[in-house]
Amino acid sequence: MIDIRPMLESDVPGVLAIERASFPDPWTEGLFRDELGREDRIWKVALEDGRLAGYGGVMIVDVEAHLMDVAVAPEARGRGIGRALLWELAADAVAAGALRMTLEVASSNETALRFYRSAGFDVAGRRPAYYPSGDDALLLWSRPLAPHVSAKRVALKRRDLILAIESSCDETAASVMRGGREELSSVVASQVDFHARFGGVVPEIASRKHTEAIVGVVDQALETAGVTFADLDAIAVTAGPGLVGALVVGLAYAKGVACSTGLPLIGVNHLEGHIYAARLLDPDLEPPLVALLVSGGHTMLVSVPEWGRYEVLGGTLDDAAGEAFDKVAKLLGLGYPGGPVISRLAAEGDPKAIPFPRPMLRTDDLDVSLSGLKTAVIQYVERERREGRELRLNDIAASFQAAVTEVQVAKTLKAVRAHDAKAVVLAGGVAANPVLRGSLRSALATEGVALSVPPLELCTDNASMIAAAAHDALRAGRFLGLDADANPAMRLGRGA
Amino acid sequence: MRPFVAFDTATDHLAVGVGDLDRPGELLAGVDMPAPRAANTVLLSTVERVLAQAGLSPGDLSAVACGRGPGSFTGVRIGVATAKGLAHGASIPLAGFGTLDAVAWRAWRDGAGEEGPLLGVLGDAMRGEVYPALFNVTASGPERLTADRVAKPGDVAAEWSDSAARLVLAGNALAKHRAAFESAFGSVRVAAERAWAADAQALIDAAWAEEAAAGVSAIAAAADITDAYADAHPGTLLPIYTRLSDAEEAERARTAGGGVAPTPRTGVRGPSSAPSGGGR
Repeated sequence: MIDIRPMLESDVPGVLAIERASFPDPWTEGLFRDELGREDRIWKVALEDGRLAGYGGVMIVDVEAHLMDVAVAPEARGRGIGRALLWELAADAVAAGALRMTLEVASSNETALRFYRSAGFDVAGRRPAYYPSGDDALLLWSRPLAPHVSAKRVALKRRDLILAIESSCDETAASVMRGGREELSSVVASQVDFHARFGGVVPEIASRKHTEAIVGVVDQALETAGVTFADLDAIAVTAGPGLVGALVVGLAYAKGVACSTGLPLIGVNHLEGHIYAARLLDPDLEPPLVALLVSGGHTMLVSVPEWGRYEVLGGTLDDAAGEAFDKVAKLLGLGYPGGPVISRLAAEGDPKAIPFPRPMLRTDDLDVSLSGLKTAVIQYVERERREGRELRLNDIAASFQAAVTEVQVAKTLKAVRAHDAKAVVLAGGVAANPVLRGSLRSALATEGVALSVPPLELCTDNASMIAAAAHDALRAGRFLGLDADANPAMRLGRGA
Repeated sequence: MRPFVAFDTATDHLAVGVGDLDRPGELLAGVDMPAPRAANTVLLSTVERVLAQAGLSPGDLSAVACGRGPGSFTGVRIGVATAKGLAHGASIPLAGFGTLDAVAWRAWRDGAGEEGPLLGVLGDAMRGEVYPALFNVTASGPERLTADRVAKPGDVAAEWSDSAARLVLAGNALAKHRAAFESAFGSVRVAAERAWAADAQALIDAAWAEEAAAGVSAIAAAADITDAYADAHPGTLLPIYTRLSDAEEAERARTAGGGVAPTPRTGVRGPSSAPSGGGR
């Protein structure tokens, strides 16, 4: 339980202890006591279960709030106390007439820099050798404070209206969501027809189609939801991982909207979005969870101890599951994408007809390797062709699918047992595969663990899942600045 | 006053200018600087800074104008996508102008046209190619004679060699390909290097000179802002690429002569034989 209140004289000894543990050249007791008497200052302390855990202060200069100090006790760090203090100070600064907040950070203080950037601050300048240590000071500025403070406030009441944009691969998508759970619209413009004849996604084509489609897709999402930009509380966008050129289009567009409207901008990890898709299906879904993410670009097991925190437990060492389906389909001349056609053929085949290997099934970790399985299928097909036998497509598809499924199910069960998860989320485009769904569901049922599988339109790429994740980020006060860039290799679990 | 912002991110040289729909050609504030591969991180902070120099903020804008290329594919898209967001979010018109036109205006302002009636702008297209565009130099500014395309420098030099005596060259491709023109022409006249990339004034000039309905002049002249927004809607503007994606270029090479759709200057060729996208 975190409580934030104005700093009192009696807090100063505790504040000094945290100050000395946090900075190489700490403020003195006299400085703090002097600050508390001044009209143009706002100082606050954070109490965790009644214990002093952190503090911060701003000085109001006309329409600028100068952030003087924020520190959290070493033992209380990593629990969002600094972020809570920052936005409490921002709310008071707005009430005192401030439009934006500014501060200096030592250029060597990467933790602080990361923290302020994740609150939407941009680096606006550098003061060489500003500190006694010789360190440069980086001059940081927030975006307009008032829209951030009010958006965060309505999000805590679950009444926030977020427009989310997703462009990480070959779908241009936009969604309007209220309170992180109520979908007002979800528009997905698929480009699959433009990529199909090349047997996979062509990044340059994806980037071009996003550029053509994005305004129309957003207009449709706003119209369907019956809202305009003026009704929104925030803009959310997928910042990574994905195709860099594709991500850049959605991010640049979203930043442009944020700039001209003044709306807060929220960056979402695409993989986090896939996990949140399950919460749209089941609003009461609560961690601890294990998520199995299987798509054309990803195959991983993730532990979710609480919303917003992730630990990647294992993943594919080579091909993603969807990629393996695509490659086998290509080998068999079945076209692109491979998942649906293999699944359809497999329904009429014998999954035990061909004993394809179950790679990595016996090792103790939670990683999988699918390229060995793919090679086994290639070798089998070549042998059959060489010996002049007609390919039994149904049996090949069924046996291949059974091998992929068995490996995924076994690893998921292992993760559930290791992390004592009460529920499993199956997400990503490959979650559409009925055999994988069925096998996982029955295996988990014997363990007494629920399986949550979002409907197909939420499993494949969409912007509703981005909006759902953005709602939690907004409540926590996590934002992007206008100098944010796409991160094609963004990982889960960082800075959550 | 009805302020608009103009920018171009097609090359490694970023330029941002603020103009006024009520004062043709006038630059209120501007900056240009090298920003290799940095357009996405520095563009909007630069826009906000330049607006602040003019005493303005993004909420004051009446229109946005953006360089459409040709140039770096990703670079152009960063500018176009950012411009779409700015204009769409504020429901204001989005105007386009050619990146090479802006370079031509920069060279013209630098006096490059005084020596010869023709200006040849060469944009760096990477992979040993250039984006060439030929302009007629007049007292009131450069007038475009050729459409955007991509070509080998030697081929462009051969084409232009008949006019060599009347021609001044500019553009960032000269850093790599000047020799091809020297060997074809004997000697070349080249604009000062400072005029090889657009500055803020050149963006404003090129934006006003664009004659399309989605151009600054048409927007400024429109009687009704709703009409101007419909004619220059942020959803309509597209980058000028001149090349297809590599995958489509390879496909075209394989299927050459076999009922292949014409190559659009924008977008992609499409799933069937019909060209997709705006094709403007």
